[in-house]
Amino acid sequence: MDAYLAAIAIIALIYMLLSLGLTLQYGLTGLINFGHVGFFAIGAYTSALLSLQGLPLALTIPAAAVTAGLAAWPIGLISLRLRDDYFAIVTLGFSETVRLVITSEKWLTNGVQGIPGIPRLFETISVGIGAQLAVMGLILAVTLAAIYAMRRIVASPFGRVIEAIRDNEEALQALGKDPAGFKIQVLILGSALAGIAGAFYAHYITYIVPDQFIPLVTFYVWMAIIIGGVGRVSGAIVGTGLLMLFLEGSRFLRDIVPGVSEVEMASLRIGVVGLLLVLFTIYRPQGLMGDFTKR
Amino acid sequence: MKTTRREFLGSVAAGAALVAAPSIVRAQGADAIRIGALCPVTGVGGPYGSGMQKMIVAAAEAVNAAGGAGGRKIEIVAEDTQTNPQAAVLAAKKLIEVNKVQAILGTWSSGVSLAVIPLTNDAGIPLMHCSGAPALSVPPANAKGLGFRFQATNDRFGRAFAEICEKEGFKRPATMAFNNASGIGNTEGFTKAWKAKGGEVVESVVYEPNQASYRSELMKVLAANPDVIVTGSYIADTTIILREWFQTGQPVKWIIPGWAANPQLVEALGAEVTEGIISVDSVSNEGAEAFKAYDAAYQKAMGQAGTNNVYAAMTWDMMTVLALAIEAAGTSDMAAVVAKLREVGNPDGKQVSSFAEGKEALKAGKINYEGASSVLDFDQHGDVTPDFGAYFIEGGKLNRRYVVKI
Repeated sequence: MDAYLAAIAIIALIYMLLSLGLTLQYGLTGLINFGHVGFFAIGAYTSALLSLQGLPLALTIPAAAVTAGLAAWPIGLISLRLRDDYFAIVTLGFSETVRLVITSEKWLTNGVQGIPGIPRLFETISVGIGAQLAVMGLILAVTLAAIYAMRRIVASPFGRVIEAIRDNEEALQALGKDPAGFKIQVLILGSALAGIAGAFYAHYITYIVPDQFIPLVTFYVWMAIIIGGVGRVSGAIVGTGLLMLFLEGSRFLRDIVPGVSEVEMASLRIGVVGLLLVLFTIYRPQGLMGDFTKR
Repeated sequence: MKTTRREFLGSVAAGAALVAAPSIVRAQGADAIRIGALCPVTGVGGPYGSGMQKMIVAAAEAVNAAGGAGGRKIEIVAEDTQTNPQAAVLAAKKLIEVNKVQAILGTWSSGVSLAVIPLTNDAGIPLMHCSGAPALSVPPANAKGLGFRFQATNDRFGRAFAEICEKEGFKRPATMAFNNASGIGNTEGFTKAWKAKGGEVVESVVYEPNQASYRSELMKVLAANPDVIVTGSYIADTTIILREWFQTGQPVKWIIPGWAANPQLVEALGAEVTEGIISVDSVSNEGAEAFKAYDAAYQKAMGQAGTNNVYAAMTWDMMTVLALAIEAAGTSDMAAVVAKLREVGNPDGKQVSSFAEGKEALKAGKINYEGASSVLDFDQHGDVTPDFGAYFIEGGKLNRRYVVKI
């Protein structure tokens, strides 16, 4: 049981890193990024490929963050020209492009066969609960650092500028601030977080294949921050926790609720997630931890 | 809003506790051997997964009816892979850590099996799967020899395609592959085997999944003027490709894997379009006694003939052969059981076709289980080599003309 809980916690923490990145981009700055999984994939493949070349993970994980951050640079330039839904389409296209490139460039990524045998974190600790806890501890530390950094950002002048971009870009320009640089920085930061998440994912699952980086991942992250509360760091944390609890908890529900078959449960699970989202948008559009100071 | 945030979070926590608590107090079925059924109930594998899972349960019931394996009952704990590696990893973790299963049976797509096998290796328990990817035979995936494959590898499928191509006298084959491990594995296996026979492939195209039209890919293939097109495809894309091909009017034959060229395809396209298509599938061991038992169980559970789901026959065999190995080992210690798997499945023993029969025969000496899905002889990689059937679609019906042995 412990190791299973640790496994869920690890996946939840990885998703939490993703939601934190998206909170920075959408929640605070208002950039609708539907291509989050693209940066996740870039991080995963970067770290996996470098580590298979024999580089230590202490180098490959930062490299994943840098690569994913750099990949966000051109997207950032596009974001200067496109707003809202147009930008959303471009980012969705970007993540699909990333997936297709990974699929096609077999010499590098082994295409649809995927990359097996990616080194684990803490390989020296023999497999078991100890190694799991070590991995969990490391990801937890990184997530806490990210949360701390996010809170500092929100409280800083930088944070007030990006929130102003979200609320009224024209007014901000009238005040003499240039939104362009801020948007690019925010995209790079959020994507670097996604890249780190991707690296942890690759080293945890130890096998990656393009099928794992479908837009559904992006939308799970969106669900998490919508339920938790857009634009709040605590919202990203609570939302991700709730989503994982729900997706994994439903497994146990089936063990105790009689008469629900596996097929029905799977449909039920998706149905209830959908219902939750509808109810949240109707009754609690700010999410659980939403910001009630505005209205 | 009447509910405050604090109240809501409180009720969520209470709900979570409610969900978690029973798993702690739930009785751990003192004597039963727990086996995990991890099938693709939803997702791409959905059409097969439900039947696969039910056949694991049915085979376990047959084992229990015969008094259990090694003196203990079998208890099945089922999970859904969602045909998705990440969901499968968490499900496998749950089966291993929470339910303490002694083996995991029934993973289907190669991506899922490759993601799950590191976990079963770590736990030291066998993984029995129906995936085609060659990587599953060898290290690192199968470094401990705990992976057992009940399906033909994609490579073997390709070899069967080449045999049929030769037998039918085709000279200018072209290939079309769905861009995933299985699709490409099929056509690459074919190309390798065909070139070994001294033939040449006039064109080969790999296409992306989930498109509304495959016209440009199709035109590229047809431009090379092939006399047969060999595909590694699934049913959705095959339906579109064949419809678009029929509209072009260019005469060409098709060799398509059985999971794509099946009665549903004929239903979708009609008899005229599908006339003469050669559907190739690993054949279940249909003459065998084991197949009859499986067929009866499948009809009872699913209301269809057992021939509709070759994978369900494989999962039936997984449970049966595993139970026989447990019986032979006399313990549920998996290291000992795995060592016995080849002994009860491979030749040099009395041929048996059910668990009850095998249990009796084991008292006298060695046995050789002849399965419902194949004769079930594992090679050194834990792979089986089933026979392949060439089914010709004639007047909307799939007729098996001959069986290919490779």
